[in-house]
Amino acid sequence: MNLEQLTKEFELAKPQLKSYLLRITASVEDVEDIMQDAFINASQKLDSFRGDSSVKTWIFTIASNLAKDNLRAQKRWPETVTDICREKALANPDYFNEIGTLMASSPQTQFEIKEHVTFCLTCISKTLPLEQQLCIFLKEIYEFKVSEIQEILQTTEAMVKYYLHTARTKMVNIFEGRCALINKAGTCHQCSELNGIFNPKQDFEIEKNKVEFAKKANDPDRSKLLDLRLNIMREIDPFTSNGAVLQLHHLAHNKLVMENFEEK
Amino acid sequence: MEPITTNGKAITEKKVFSRETAVSIDIEADKSILWALLTNASDYARWNSTVISIEGNIRAKESIVLKAKLDPKRAFKLKVLEFNPDSTLIWGDAMGKRVFTLKTIGNNLTNFTMREKIGGPIFPLFAKMIPSFDSSFEQFAKDLKNEAEIISKTK
Repeated sequence: MNLEQLTKEFELAKPQLKSYLLRITASVEDVEDIMQDAFINASQKLDSFRGDSSVKTWIFTIASNLAKDNLRAQKRWPETVTDICREKALANPDYFNEIGTLMASSPQTQFEIKEHVTFCLTCISKTLPLEQQLCIFLKEIYEFKVSEIQEILQTTEAMVKYYLHTARTKMVNIFEGRCALINKAGTCHQCSELNGIFNPKQDFEIEKNKVEFAKKANDPDRSKLLDLRLNIMREIDPFTSNGAVLQLHHLAHNKLVMENFEEK
Repeated sequence: MEPITTNGKAITEKKVFSRETAVSIDIEADKSILWALLTNASDYARWNSTVISIEGNIRAKESIVLKAKLDPKRAFKLKVLEFNPDSTLIWGDAMGKRVFTLKTIGNNLTNFTMREKIGGPIFPLFAKMIPSFDSSFEQFAKDLKNEAEIISKTK
C-alpha cells in the first residue's frame, strides 16, 4: 500500500472513525488530535501493513491504541452521570444561553429523542471499563467481527467475548434501573424533560412511541431492548445529524463536569 | 483425598486437624474465558451467587477482601499466592488456601477444579463452627459453568 492508497482508505473510514472516537472520548478536540496522529502513524508504518486484515481494521487498531493511551489516565464515569450533569446544567445560568446562541447560528440544533437516546448511551457506555466500552461499540455500532476486534484491541477471542458479554449485561442492568422509557420505576426522565423544553408543542407519549425500544418496553427480553437502543446509535452520525451541534454541546458539558467530579 | 469426579458434586474429607473440600466440572468454554471470570474481582457478584463482593485486584501478591454468602458477616482478608494465567489461581490466609485449576481437555472444553483446605493445630477447637462448603462449592461451579458457556456462545 502506498500513501495515496492510504489517504483514500483513510477518507473512506473517516466518518465511522470520527464517530467511534467521539463516542469513546466524548471530546471533539480529542477526536481531531487522534485522527491526525492516527493518519501520521499509519503513514509512517505503511511498510508494516501486510494485508492480513482490512485497511479499515488496521486504521481502527492504530486509532484505538491512541485513544486508549489518551483515556487510560482518565476516570470512568459513574452510573449517575446524567443526574450529576443535569444538576450542574440547571445550576449554570450560561448553559441555556449557550444553547440559545447555538440555535440561532446552526440548523443542527433540533432536539430529537432518538439523538438524545444516542447521547445517553454514549454517557452510560463511559461507565463501563474501557475495554468493554470499546468492544461493544466496535461490535454493535461499527459492525466489526469478533476476530477483527481481537486484532484491534490486541487481545484474545475469549477476552473479546468476555468484554462483550459483561458490557451488555451491565448496560441492560443500568438502563433497567434508570431509563423511564423502558421502566416506569426508572429514575431518569431526561429525554421527556428536554423534549418539553425544546419541543413544547409535541405530545411526548406520541414521540416516545416512535422509539422502537420504548414501544416494546414490556418485552421480557431486556437484552433485545438494548439491541434496539444500539440500532438507533448505529444509524446516527454524531457529527452530521439534525441535532449534532446541540448534542455535542451536551457532551462537552458532561465531559467537563466529569473531569471535575470527585466521587464521594 | 479420593479422586473427584467432574460432575459438579463436591466432596469433603475431614481429618482431625484439617478439612478439605473439592469440586470439579467440565465446561464448554476456552479456559481464558474462565480465567477472565475468576480474576475480575469487581465482576464476581454479577455471575457468582455465592459471592457478595470481592474488593481489590486478583493479581499476583495482591490482597483481596472476600465477602461470601456462606458467612455474610465476615470479610475474609486473603492474599493471592499464585497467579498463573489460564492455569492456576491460589488465594488464602493463615487458616487455609483455595486452589483453582483449569485444564484444557478438548476443543473448547475445560476442566475446572476448586479445592480448599483449612486447618492447623487449633482446628479441632472450632471445626464444628465452620459450615460445610459443599453446597457453596457446587453452586460456584454451576454458576461458573453457566456464565462461561453463555460467553463462549457469543458470536
